[in-house]
Amino acid sequence: MKEILADVERWREKGEKVAIATVVATRRSAPRPVGAKLAVSESGELAGSVSGGCVEGDVFEHACEVLRSGQPKLLSYGIEDEEAWNVGLPCGGEIDVFVEPLDGE
Amino acid sequence: MSRVVTDRLLKAIEGNERAVVFTVIEGEPLGAKALALESGEVVGDGVPPAALGQANELIRAARNRLLELDDARVFAEVYGPPPRLVIIGAVDTADALCQAAKLLGWQTIVVDARAKFATRERIPNADRLIVEWPEEALAEVQPDHATAVLVLTHDAKFDIPALKAALATDAFYIGALGSRRNQERRREKLLAEGVDAVEFERISGPCGLDVGADSQPETALSILAEIVALRAGRSGGRLRDSKQRIHAEAV
Repeated sequence: MKEILADVERWREKGEKVAIATVVATRRSAPRPVGAKLAVSESGELAGSVSGGCVEGDVFEHACEVLRSGQPKLLSYGIEDEEAWNVGLPCGGEIDVFVEPLDGE
Repeated sequence: MSRVVTDRLLKAIEGNERAVVFTVIEGEPLGAKALALESGEVVGDGVPPAALGQANELIRAARNRLLELDDARVFAEVYGPPPRLVIIGAVDTADALCQAAKLLGWQTIVVDARAKFATRERIPNADRLIVEWPEEALAEVQPDHATAVLVLTHDAKFDIPALKAALATDAFYIGALGSRRNQERRREKLLAEGVDAVEFERISGPCGLDVGADSQPETALSILAEIVALRAGRSGGRLRDSKQRIHAEAV
């Protein structure tokens, strides 16, 4: 939270809605530790990261949906599958990412 | 999370309070959030009591964890001040240690009873300098489970009382710089002063990992690496020789 705090507070002060994505579990080797966060503002700004840049694009899409619906969701990313064009992690790790609205309910 | 929880969390972060944020990530109510502070204060609802009950244990372990409960998975995220490094002895290595500890985001306190040594000019990188005898300074700083104490004086006059005082605290790491012979002498003296032989084993002496450190920055790296490893419950060997997970996990 600390690494995204300044941006989150700035967005909040402007009255923008914010979604937070957090790495809640990792299996095998993962680029970012449990607790790493990516924050997304309503206007599409980003702060922080949940991987080495491998899945941020996909998490961003989900975060925008969470901002629209207000409903949190749990995402899982595994090994990149080149043939299926799936979003994944080339390092062979797996991560679970929870995406939720900040200041929900 | 509700605005009440967010606001209280931001205040806790600003005030360096120890706290745990619990989030229901699977099960009902999905997304429920609660903040539990070290003081016992709880803000927010919907989080199972079985998770909230683990707050103090999580704060002590100082690591984020996913809790698997019977009917829910709850993510626990721990907040608190950075670890503190208390260095006894304003010697040259002390400043190298402060500089390196800063990179890790730790708070550093350097203690020396000799006002001539404990100066800003000599130790510019310390967050705090205390000109006092080690026992007095430790009584004031109150090392806890998130504090490492390092004795660099290698002069029995300062070393022995400092180590004795450090052993009486909850410090997660106690290190002493110096040769193996020095450490043997410390053992004799401390045991003669009534320190228990098992307690004595808490002291990492000579402190540091075996990296062949030569310069002061290298010595600082060796000692900080040992502290990080011990905190994570690791022994500090080479990753290529290890079968363990690379990153630390909750203990």
